[in-house]
Amino acid sequence: MSLTELLIGLAALVLAPFVGGFLRGVDRRVTARMQGRIGPPVRQPFYDFLKLWAKALSLPNKASLVWAWAYLLLTMVTVFMLFAGQDLLIIFFVLAFAAACLAFGAYSVRSPYAHIGAHRELLQILSYEPILLLTVVAIFLQTGTFMVSGVLEHGQPLLLTLPLAFVAVLVALGIKLRKSPFDISASEHAHQELVRGVYTEYSGRTLALIELAHWYQLVLILAFVALFWAQPLWAGVLLALGAYFLEFVVDNVTARLRWTWMLSISWGKGVGLVLLNIVLIQFVFSSARV
Amino acid sequence: MGLISKARVKSPWIVHYCCSSCNGCDIEILACLTPYYDVERFGILNIGNPKHADLLVVTGPANRRGSRVLKNLYEQMPDPKLVMAVGACAATGGVFHNCYNILGGVDQAIPVDVYVPGCAARPEAIIDGVVLALDKLSKIK
Amino acid sequence: MLSGESLVAVLVLLPVATAAASLAIKDERWRWLLIILPSGVLIAASLLLLAQVLENGPLTFTPSGPWDSLILIVELVLLAYFVYVGVARRHLLVLGLGATQLVLFALFKFAWLPSGFKVQPAFHIDLLAVIMCLVISVIGSLIVMYALNYMQSHERHLKLGATRQHVFFFYLVGFLGAMNGVVFANSLLWFLLFWGLTTLCCYHLIRHDLTDEAEQSGLRALWMNLVGGLALVTGMSLAYQASGSLSLLDLTGFGTVAPVMLLPLALFCFAGFTKAAQVPFQGWLLGAMVAPTPVSALLHSSTMVKAGVYLVLRLAPGYEGTYLSAGIAVFGAFVFMITSVLAISQNVSKRVLAYSTISSLGLIICCAGINTGLAIAAAIALIIYHAVVKGVLFLAVGIMEQSIHSRDIEDMEGLVTRLPALAGMAIIGMVVMLFVPFGVLFAKWAGLQAAAAAPTVWFSLVVTFLVVGSAAGIVFWVRWIGRLMSHTAAGAGAPEAAPPEAEPRGSLSYLVVAVLLAGGVVLSVLAAPLVSYLISPAGAAMGYNPALDTAGWHLKTPFGFFTPWVLFVVIGAALLLPTLLVRVRTEDIRPVYLCGEHRASTAGGPVFTSLGDQAVPLVTGGFYWSRAFGERSLNVWVNGAGIALLAALFVGVIV
Repeated sequence: MSLTELLIGLAALVLAPFVGGFLRGVDRRVTARMQGRIGPPVRQPFYDFLKLWAKALSLPNKASLVWAWAYLLLTMVTVFMLFAGQDLLIIFFVLAFAAACLAFGAYSVRSPYAHIGAHRELLQILSYEPILLLTVVAIFLQTGTFMVSGVLEHGQPLLLTLPLAFVAVLVALGIKLRKSPFDISASEHAHQELVRGVYTEYSGRTLALIELAHWYQLVLILAFVALFWAQPLWAGVLLALGAYFLEFVVDNVTARLRWTWMLSISWGKGVGLVLLNIVLIQFVFSSARV
Repeated sequence: MGLISKARVKSPWIVHYCCSSCNGCDIEILACLTPYYDVERFGILNIGNPKHADLLVVTGPANRRGSRVLKNLYEQMPDPKLVMAVGACAATGGVFHNCYNILGGVDQAIPVDVYVPGCAARPEAIIDGVVLALDKLSKIK
Repeated sequence: MLSGESLVAVLVLLPVATAAASLAIKDERWRWLLIILPSGVLIAASLLLLAQVLENGPLTFTPSGPWDSLILIVELVLLAYFVYVGVARRHLLVLGLGATQLVLFALFKFAWLPSGFKVQPAFHIDLLAVIMCLVISVIGSLIVMYALNYMQSHERHLKLGATRQHVFFFYLVGFLGAMNGVVFANSLLWFLLFWGLTTLCCYHLIRHDLTDEAEQSGLRALWMNLVGGLALVTGMSLAYQASGSLSLLDLTGFGTVAPVMLLPLALFCFAGFTKAAQVPFQGWLLGAMVAPTPVSALLHSSTMVKAGVYLVLRLAPGYEGTYLSAGIAVFGAFVFMITSVLAISQNVSKRVLAYSTISSLGLIICCAGINTGLAIAAAIALIIYHAVVKGVLFLAVGIMEQSIHSRDIEDMEGLVTRLPALAGMAIIGMVVMLFVPFGVLFAKWAGLQAAAAAPTVWFSLVVTFLVVGSAAGIVFWVRWIGRLMSHTAAGAGAPEAAPPEAEPRGSLSYLVVAVLLAGGVVLSVLAAPLVSYLISPAGAAMGYNPALDTAGWHLKTPFGFFTPWVLFVVIGAALLLPTLLVRVRTEDIRPVYLCGEHRASTAGGPVFTSLGDQAVPLVTGGFYWSRAFGERSLNVWVNGAGIALLAALFVGVIV
C-alpha cells in the first residue's frame, strides 16, 4: 500500500459519513416528493444522528453497545480498504463480519422482535453475499486482479462487458440498503416491521452508531458500483448515483415481500445473471479472458 | 441554542399509544403523516418503538389495565422525553370520565407535557402541540 | 538425533502398542499415565520428523524384515473380520461388500501379482505427509487426552456396571497409528491395510455405546467405507494392469500419467470421497455423532475424513489438467455448497458440525480438483486450520452436552452466562471458522482466487457453488453464535442472576480445548510464515509452483493480497476496544421491548403479562427454515445430484 492510498483511505474515512448522510437526506427528500409530500430537509439525517447520540444511555445489556461499535468500526475498515485500493474479496469478507455484528447485537438480547429481525438479517446476507462475491469474480475475469487499485487502472468500462452482473448488483444493492421489496429484516426508512426488526433493542447512542455505519456502507456499496465505470471516474460516480436513484424508484413502487421470494430472486435471477455473464465473457468475449 | 438542542428540536420521533380512545384522535394523528400535512418535513417520524422515540403521543383516557402498559412504555423511552396527550379524553378522561375502568386523563398515569384539546383533535392542533413540545424540548439541557 | 526410520516406527507402532497395552489395563490411574506419556512422545516425534524432512527433504525407505508378509496376513484377517461382522450382524451390504473385497484382493494378490512382488519404497514421507502427521499426532493426541476426562463422566452418566474404557482407548489410540500409516505409506498394499484399519477403528468407535442406534450407525459407516475399500482394491488392480506398479509415487507420476491411468485414479478419488463422507455418502458421518464426543472430534478433525481428502490431494499431480480434475472440482464445490445449505436447517449441534465438516472437506476436494499451486496451498491450509478449529468446536460441544444434557442448539441459549468460559471458547472457535482474518477464511480466499483463475472450463460453476456455500455458512454459524450469546442483563433492582453452573474449568478437557483454540488463533496470525515454511514447500514437493508470495508477512497471490497480522490488529481493535472501553451502569439497563407488557425480569429471563394477568416467561427460539432447506425436502435432490455428478465423473473418465 502506498502513502497516497493510505491518505485516500483516511480521507474517505473522514468524508464518507458526510457524503453518506447527505445521500440519505436526498433519499428521504426524493422519496417524499415521489409520494407527493414535501419531505424533511436534506440535512435531516445529521439532526437525527446528533439527537440520537445525545440521548441518555438506555440499553438492554452491554453487549449490544459493544456489537454496535464493532459493526461501525468493521464497516469503517471496509471503507478504508476499498478506498485504499485493497483486495475486493477481503473487503467483502470483512463486510460480512460487520453485517454479522449487527445480528450479534440483536441476538445478544433476549427479545423476540430483535431475534426475528436478526434471523431475517441472516437471510439478507444469504441473499446478497453470493451476488457480490460472484460479481467480484466476474470483475476479476475482466481485469485480472482482485485489487481495487488494479480495477481502477483497467482502461475499458466494466459495464460494457458485465451488464448482467451490474443488474444483479442492483438487486444486491437493494437488499444491502434494505429497500423495498427487500426490507425484510428492518426498513431503512422508519417503517415498522416487527416493531423495528433487527434494530428494536438498539436505542439512542447505539442506534446512532448503526446509522453512522449505514452511511459508511452506503458509500462503500456505491463506490463498488462506481467501479463498473472506473475510467473516467466521474462517469462511475454518475453511474452509482443513477443506481441509487433507481433504488428510490423501486423502493416506492414495490411492497415488502416474503423472504423466500427475496431468496429466489437473488439466487435464481441475481446469481444466475452473474453466472450467465461469466459464461458469456468466457465464450463470447473469449479474448477478454485473462 | 446548541447544536444538540437544535438537533433534538429538528428530529422528534414519536411513538403513538392508544390508551382507550374511540380512535377518532388516532385517525387524526395518522392524518398528520399523510401528504396533506406531511409532518416528516419537520423531521417527525412515527417510529413505533418507545426505545427509539422522543415523544410519546397518547390518545384516550388512562384506564386501569392500560395505564400499566403506558407506564412501562414511558419508562422504556430514553431521556430526554416528552409526553403529549391528544384529545379531550387524554386530557381529562373526556366522555369516558365516569366509567368504572377509567382513571381519568393520561396524567393520572404518567407526567404529561403538552395537552392538545379537541374531540377529535384536528391535525393542525396536533402539529401545534408538537411545536409546543419542541419548545419545551429545546429548553432541556 | 533419532533417525527418520525410527521416528516413523514410533509414530506408527507406538499408538498400536499403547492401544494394546490399554486393552490390558483397567485401572483408571494407570490409564491416565499410559495415555498421556505416549501422547507426549507422539507429539515430539512428529515435530522431530518435521525437522528431519524440512532439513533433508522427503524421507523414503522400506523397512527391512518380513513386514510384507505380516501386512498381507493382517489385511486378510481384517477383510475376513469384515465378512464376519456382516454375518454376525446379518447385514447383507457389509457381508457382500466385505466378501467381494476379500475375494478380489485375494485373487489380485495370489493369482495376479507375481509372488514376491515388492513395492519399493514402502514409505515415502514428503512434507504433505508430515503436515498430515502433525495434524494427526498433535490434534489427535490432544483429543485422546480430552477423552480421559470425558469418558469418566460419560460412563458415570450411562451408569455402566463394568467399564468399557479400555476397549474405547484401544481403538481410539490405535486409530492414530493407522492414520499415520495411511499418510506415510507409498506402497498401495500397505496403504490398503492402514486404510482398512481406520475403517475398522471407526466402526468400533461409533458402535461403542452398543445401543441400537449406535449399532446401526456403525454398520452404516462400515458399509459406506467398504464401498470405498472396494473401489480402492479395484483401482489397485486396474493400476497394476495399466502400469505394473503399485507405488503412489509412480501413480501420481508428476503429471506424466497416461490416460489409461485415469480410471484407477478416479476410483482412488472415489474411495477418498466415501471416506470424506461426501454426498451421497454423508450419512455415515452424520450417524457417527451417536458415539462419544471424542470419537466425533477425532473423526471430524484430525483422522478418518482427513484420510479421504489426503488421498485425493496426494493424487492431485496424477490427474492434473485432465477431465477428472475438473470433475473433482465441480463435485467438491457442489458438496461444499449443498451441505452448507443443509446445515442451515439443523438444530442439533453435532449435525451442524458434521455438515460443516463435510462442507469444508468438499472445499478441500474442490481445491485439489482445481489443481493449481494456489489451490493446493489453499487445500493444505484448510486441512490444518479445519482440523484445529473443528477439534475445538467438537470438544467444546462435548463438554456443553455433558453440562446441559442436550445437544440441541435451542437448549444452548444464553450459555455465555451459564458456562462463560466454555461458551466464550466455542464462540471464538466459530468466529475463527467463519470470519476474516482467521485461517479458514484465508484458505477460502485463496481457494476462491484459485477457482476464479482456474484453467478448467467449469470454473464458473465451481465459483458459483463456492460463493453460495460460503454465504450459507455465515447463516448457520452466526445463528448458533447468536443462540449462545442471547441473554438478559440484570438491571437495577433485578434479582441476582443465577450463579454460573459449576464449570470444571481446571480439568484436562478444558485445557485441551483452550490449547487447541490458542493454536488455531496463533496459526492464523502466523499464516504467512506457515505458508512460506510449510505449505508452499509441501506444494512444491508435489510439483506445484508456489503461488503465494509471503515476503514481508503479506499473503500475496498474483491477483490480490492482504496482510494477516495487520487485519488482526485492526479487527482485533474493532472488537476489543469497545469491549474494554465501553462502560454501562446498571441503572442504564432497561428491560426488552415487549409491547409494554413486560414485568420485572427474573433470573430466568424476561417475563411478560399475558392473558388473565399471568406472568409468562419469555421464550425465544431460532429459525431453521426446515421447509426450505430441510433434509426432507432437499435430500432426494442432493443425493441425486451427488450420484449424477459422480456418474458423470466416471462416464467421462471411461469414455
